[in-house]
Amino acid sequence: MAATEASGATPAAGWRAGWLRRRSAADRRNARVGLVFTAPALVLVGAFALFPLGFGVYISLTNWPLVGPYHFIGLSNYSSLIHDSVFLQSILFTLKYTAIVTIPIFVVGYALAVFVRSNRRGSTVFRTLIFLPYIVGLVAESYMAVVELQPSSGTVNFVLSKLGIVSDTTAWTVRTGLATTAVCILVVWFASGLTMMLLMAGMQSIPTDLYESARVDGASWWSAERRITMPLLRRSIALSLIISVVGSFLAFNQFFIITDGGPGTSTESVVMSIFQTAFADTDVGLASAMSVVLIIVVGLITFVQFHYLQGDVD
Amino acid sequence: MASVRSGQQSGARPSPASDPGARRQARGGGRPGAAGRGRSGRRASGGLGLYIAAGVLISAVFVVPLLWEMFRSLQPESTVSNPPSAATFGHLTFANYRTLLSGQDDIIRNVMNSLIVAVLTAALTAVVSTMAGYGFGLFRFRGSGLVFGLVLLAFMIPFQAVLTPLFLELHYLHLLNSLIGLALFYTTFNLPVGVYVMRNSFLQVPREIVDAARVDGASVTRTLLSVLRPLVLPGIATSALYAFLFSWTEFLGALSFMTNDSLFTLPVALSNVETGTYGAINYGLLLAGAVIAMIPCIVVYVALQRYYVRGLVSGALKG
Repeated sequence: MAATEASGATPAAGWRAGWLRRRSAADRRNARVGLVFTAPALVLVGAFALFPLGFGVYISLTNWPLVGPYHFIGLSNYSSLIHDSVFLQSILFTLKYTAIVTIPIFVVGYALAVFVRSNRRGSTVFRTLIFLPYIVGLVAESYMAVVELQPSSGTVNFVLSKLGIVSDTTAWTVRTGLATTAVCILVVWFASGLTMMLLMAGMQSIPTDLYESARVDGASWWSAERRITMPLLRRSIALSLIISVVGSFLAFNQFFIITDGGPGTSTESVVMSIFQTAFADTDVGLASAMSVVLIIVVGLITFVQFHYLQGDVD
Repeated sequence: MASVRSGQQSGARPSPASDPGARRQARGGGRPGAAGRGRSGRRASGGLGLYIAAGVLISAVFVVPLLWEMFRSLQPESTVSNPPSAATFGHLTFANYRTLLSGQDDIIRNVMNSLIVAVLTAALTAVVSTMAGYGFGLFRFRGSGLVFGLVLLAFMIPFQAVLTPLFLELHYLHLLNSLIGLALFYTTFNLPVGVYVMRNSFLQVPREIVDAARVDGASVTRTLLSVLRPLVLPGIATSALYAFLFSWTEFLGALSFMTNDSLFTLPVALSNVETGTYGAINYGLLLAGAVIAMIPCIVVYVALQRYYVRGLVSGALKG
């Protein structure tokens, strides 16, 4: 995703060619050496990423159980997906969840980036501290959330009830709306540091002269932000949005740990739905069909965002 | 605390915004896209106190919850699981950690599993990425573009979406319930970042150095190990760091590919604590376990963050 844009690497191509052109006999040797050195990476990616991708498509056309023989059943896994209300609900829920968290993550991340991008005293320390929740990871934080969301004993209810917002016996994970709210707040807190870092890196690469001329022209802070920063930041904005949207769409940990998909299956994400189908219902064929749908949806999201946000730049 | 250096990766961005000297130098050099934010210099004289106060407040939002959980993990289970009372709230003890680490739940084994997998993943990612980066960066061969494209294709494949076929494949390869199998899986999905970072590192080595090594008769391998290794060490650190943190915090893959309790990594073992597999649910233990999971991340990140930020800046990050 991110990498494709910079794969050109033109500056070094000239000397690289020069070095290799010296002896034509060396060309073949170089080719061999190059292959030998890149082979381990290719083998691993082939074995554990590309092969499973193809294998998954194959399995999705069968009624493969976790153990035992299987038969080809054509596209019937896909046609049964259309009527699989749990799976469809998980897609809708995941889309809804993604829609809810994306804007807050971006807005908070952008504001934080504006705050820490300067080289004023303390800004590097602030960056580090704000980024810590992302580094620690959502799994450990979800376990903490489980403890603190407990009715009557958890810190969340204690604080919120003192502020008069909720009662101290509120059971967060028993109601769909509350459970989703809790997870969304946790995720925004967790993920906005990453958006901050990505946008900050982009902001720091914008030439200062632009701001100096804007200032000479009497532009306000906000118009400089809107006319200079945001257009030149499109690449970073696209990257951070793709990472955050795809990450949200692949959500698993927070829901598995905090809500376990409940109440009922109302907070079951797509990946959770696949996980349950494969390992609880042991219907690997159906789970693989779900995975193929997931890959297509994620690919589409990436493609659309990339083109929409990057299309008319350079 | 070490400073965040945002621009070490490449000639493209020689300006760590945290370092005014470097910034001035970079601007003097007139390299496009090199400078930090000029306006900040203007504002720096006024309102610094305000800036720091705001920064402390904002940072607190992100850090205090983590510190609070460290504090809570030192409360005995009875305090954690009951309505807060002023009388007992400040009584702190290492009881949760003692219980967790005293063998009953065997969490030490899970910590060791996590550590083995994370270190193995970091080492494998570093070695394989370095080799591939060397191959892609300094040797042009027929199909190298295609091979590079294939490796980066793993960027596009969310590992969550190949979990079931991978489960069957690992089963056939006898790599289920295997720490090595898990490390191979983690390594694979860290390779796009690693290979990308390492190829760029090798492309930035001055050609004179490579030429000189050849003239001196150094073999291809010797050139890599003796001449180039020190030059690309920052890239190696970046690849290894990403792989370590990914592996240490990964949950779904470990949950799927490990069915034997004694091979669980720490995050998966904690889900047993959460659901009370070992008897009554003990939230004190869960907090202590979560803090144990969190500490290495913080230590490793704070110590090596400039390498982490380099990776972010080079744009080599997957969702």
